[in-house]
Amino acid sequence: MSQTISNALYGAIGIQAIAYCLAAIGLNVHFGYTGLLNFGQAGFALVGAYAIAMPTFNPAWGWNIWVSILVVVAASALFALLLGIPTLRLRSDYLAIVTIAAAEILRLVVSTPRFVNVTGATDGINSFTDDIQNSIPGFIRGESFSLWEVEVSDYYIWTILLGWFLIALFSVLVWALMRSPWGRVLRSIREDEDAARSLGKNVFAYKMTSLVLGGVIGGFGGAMLAIGQRNVAPSSYQTQFTFLTYAIVVLGGIGKVKGPIIGAMIFWFIISFSDSLLADWTDGKGFNLPTWVMDSSNYPFFRWILVGGGLALLVIFRPQGIFGDRKEQSFDVR
Amino acid sequence: MARSTFRRGLSLLLLLLAALSLWDGTAHAADETLKVRVQDTRETKKQPVEGVAVTVTGPDGTVVAQGVTNEKGVVDLTVPGDGTWIVSIDVATLPEGLAIPESEASREVNVTAGLGGNANFNIGAAPPAADSKLSQLPKFLFNGLRYGLVIAIMSVGLSLIYGTTGLSNFAHGETVTIGAVVTGLVASASWFSLSDATGGWGGFAQIAAASVLGIIAAILFSGLLEVAIWKPMRRRGIGLTSMMIVSIGIAMLVRFVIQMYYGSQPKSYAQFGSQQNLNFGPIGVTARDLLTGIIALIALFWMAWLLMRTRTGKAIRAVSDNPDLASTTGINTDGIILKVWLIGGALAGLGGVIFGLDEQVSWNMGTKILLLMFAAITLGGLGRPFGALVGSLAVGVFVQLWAWGFSNYTDLKNMGALLAMILVLLFRPQGILGQKERVG
Repeated sequence: MSQTISNALYGAIGIQAIAYCLAAIGLNVHFGYTGLLNFGQAGFALVGAYAIAMPTFNPAWGWNIWVSILVVVAASALFALLLGIPTLRLRSDYLAIVTIAAAEILRLVVSTPRFVNVTGATDGINSFTDDIQNSIPGFIRGESFSLWEVEVSDYYIWTILLGWFLIALFSVLVWALMRSPWGRVLRSIREDEDAARSLGKNVFAYKMTSLVLGGVIGGFGGAMLAIGQRNVAPSSYQTQFTFLTYAIVVLGGIGKVKGPIIGAMIFWFIISFSDSLLADWTDGKGFNLPTWVMDSSNYPFFRWILVGGGLALLVIFRPQGIFGDRKEQSFDVR
Repeated sequence: MARSTFRRGLSLLLLLLAALSLWDGTAHAADETLKVRVQDTRETKKQPVEGVAVTVTGPDGTVVAQGVTNEKGVVDLTVPGDGTWIVSIDVATLPEGLAIPESEASREVNVTAGLGGNANFNIGAAPPAADSKLSQLPKFLFNGLRYGLVIAIMSVGLSLIYGTTGLSNFAHGETVTIGAVVTGLVASASWFSLSDATGGWGGFAQIAAASVLGIIAAILFSGLLEVAIWKPMRRRGIGLTSMMIVSIGIAMLVRFVIQMYYGSQPKSYAQFGSQQNLNFGPIGVTARDLLTGIIALIALFWMAWLLMRTRTGKAIRAVSDNPDLASTTGINTDGIILKVWLIGGALAGLGGVIFGLDEQVSWNMGTKILLLMFAAITLGGLGRPFGALVGSLAVGVFVQLWAWGFSNYTDLKNMGALLAMILVLLFRPQGILGQKERVG
């Protein structure tokens, strides 16, 4: 049991929590502050992940991974512009359909064996993290850490530190921007788009900058997932990625700076806890669930059942999230 | 060097022993077995190829062994000792429709002493016999229209639901999956047996009878969601975005319950396997595909008749146009919406069965097609039932035209339809049949 709780605590601060937290900060800018129904956050994460891995991995380019960060920013911003131009003038559900379709298009393109030399097809890209490995600072290099009962290598500690630094950076940025006049216009668009337009605000431009900002933060989420897992594979960026991110934003509280952080930590605590517990309950030792309920081959799917059911129940019964205030909630963007 | 001399000495000794003990001058102690396997890779699950002649020659071109593959696609050949041998298959003995490039039909194989050797030949589909690209166009267009019909019967429900309630129902894909999965489970259940035939009318009867239960399951699922979730949510005044996210949650829940208990492996309807093509000029179609296409067409005509000629249809269109106005004229809005969910569920279930026959029944088949359905109803004009039909046919044709035009990129064919949808939104955001209105 202590192993299970230990796994769960590690899950709450580990690389998955970091990546989804960054994606959720971005989605919170879109959905929480501006009211944009972006269903393609997986696409932004995919763009970020491939943008950091491809220039570094490709021998013809061989860029330093720290330089590739610029590619992450540029590529995610470009993707946001491409998505925004046809859809931001339309009703919000059009944006939803187009973003989910665009994310799927990207995933199909990087999965196809035709471009295997560039994208690695379904296997993805593996060897691109040498620069991160070499940048591990002296005080943690070569050390082995144990977070209670979980053994963690110096590389993972370093990526976790980098990831939480990025989360802090973007959270402060979002906090500052949302207090600024720019952020107030965003929220007024969320509340009443026509009112904002009648005050002479260029709604389209505000929505577009919001889409770019949140998209770039989402791109960093994908890049951190790639660095932490030392692998970029299309299967990590399916539509489930987006829906998980929605679950995290709703769980932590929509339209709050601390929402994505609280949401991601609680979310990954629960997921890691249930995964670890069910693995223990289906391994044939000690207490076991009856095999018609679950066995060692199908218990990993239970986490998605948990996410789906949890998301539905949360939106129905507690749309303001765990700590939110119902009055401030503006869930419906039409 | 020393090792190989030793080995050679040892084998010589063994040879002597064998010769002494058995008095069998022909037996070679150093003979090695070379296992040759020939497989048909046209489908995901490889199939053995029987009756292929295999020849092994030495480096100098002398034939050392010959054989023909058995029903498992395997032939064990005895070669005189280890080393490198050249294994070739006789292309002329391959079954019709299969081919292998000349460079791969014969290859060098290393045989290790004591372990033997293996050679696997993966045979793919034969290239079409010198058909010009243009002459294939009618076939692809026909397939596209048929595919569009199948998408249409699934997406008409999605579109009606959107029209009457405003909800983009992401759980519609799971209604499709439930119809297909329940049909598959019932058809192969031991208590449900009309006919043991595989293929032919017997197999069709088995699937058709099972599909009745599958469609009922889809109707129940769809109706249950309306009664238990959507109607109470509308009563509480919960907004459409919330409802859409709830539908995503429900879709995930149901999808992974199916994966847990149905399994991740796609299964075919065993009773209704592959069939020969019937040829109509340039268009070849199997009897099964023709039949299911006709069934889809009948379902769509029934739907159109219901919408245009019955009181229920009139009421559905009234609620689509303006729910408040409809309810003030005495239409029972909730009753009509429930009917829409039931009809949508039935059509989705039927679509699932046909889609399962076309491809395979898998836990995520509904999710895979859901995006094409959304593309179809967006293309046709959101919330317009006949828009869904036009949009679906367009999507089906786009997908097949992509497969025709970019035959090297067929794994991206769904991308063509999605790109087309985005382009149409750029220039005609209300869709093909949608009324011009301000949507921004």
